[in-house]
Amino acid sequence: MQWAIVIASFLASAVEFVEAFTLVLVAGITVNWRSAIVGALGAVATLAVIIATLGVALVTLVPIEVLRFVIGFLLLLFGLKWLKNAIQRYSGLKLLHDEEAIYAANLAEARARGENRGRRLDPFGVVLSYKSVLLEGLEVAFIVISFGGSGANGIGLATLGAAAAGLLVILVGALVRAPLQRIPENTLKFIVGIMLTTFGTFWSGESFGINWPLSDLFLLILAALYLVVSLLLITAIKQRKPRVAAATTSFGANVSSQEKEAHP
Amino acid sequence: MNVILKVILAVYNFFVGDLVILIGVVLTMVILALINFVGALAPLRGGSGIILIVGVLATLVATLGREVLRPENKQKA
Repeated sequence: MQWAIVIASFLASAVEFVEAFTLVLVAGITVNWRSAIVGALGAVATLAVIIATLGVALVTLVPIEVLRFVIGFLLLLFGLKWLKNAIQRYSGLKLLHDEEAIYAANLAEARARGENRGRRLDPFGVVLSYKSVLLEGLEVAFIVISFGGSGANGIGLATLGAAAAGLLVILVGALVRAPLQRIPENTLKFIVGIMLTTFGTFWSGESFGINWPLSDLFLLILAALYLVVSLLLITAIKQRKPRVAAATTSFGANVSSQEKEAHP
Repeated sequence: MNVILKVILAVYNFFVGDLVILIGVVLTMVILALINFVGALAPLRGGSGIILIVGVLATLVATLGREVLRPENKQKA
């Protein structure tokens, strides 16, 4: 019975830790590690205060649906913005390297002022990391309290399972960090856009009482769906571009011929 | 007044920066809330997940469509 609590808590918490760590990893790689770690530590501190003050009453006092809705809504806004920009770059509506040029200019300017921009705190990175860790951390706390309430010394055993899951996820995450940093910037932003949109859809859906089929595994199906649709959109925009150009040319020709007729 | 407007604009640019995305996501949430809380729309609750996904995809298509139809992008093409 006691091992059952540890294992159940470990498995359930591992899923939540993976979700939180994925977004911390995203913030670390795409923004910078300082912002990601500050956001994550801020969320851990907030969680510590919430748990210390509310304790087991947490389950009844913090409406998880409201939290899921707010965070899901914000992730959808962030995710769609990133996905749109990445699709625009892939389809040629935006230059692939325009942001790199802007970044290089800003970096040079910051260096001239004696700042190191790569290590500077970025609000986006901090907020992304903070809200992901806060939501998933609260869910882990709920899991520990739920499983821990079912036996003697239950909270302690459930905490042990959750802590082991957290350590394992952090260890695996640290190992995959280096290979992820070699992925090209726009590819990474494209993947991040899909992931944020996926998590945003999933959490905001749960806040409305939607029971996704296959539970947390549905995240993979959602991500695959958004990936396929995004690739189709890139292809469609690329194919449309010559037609748009032709339409613009013929429109221009019509206008100039009308102008010639009006002003020979 | 000017400072308040600047703050609102900074918050808007930080979180969204695109009116089509904001309207699309808010509209989807409003539809889901209506389905969830209005008794007469209760039969639609089973399709809430699909409505949410379609709403998100429609928002993405709409915002990209607006970019494609912008005159400067037509000229770029």
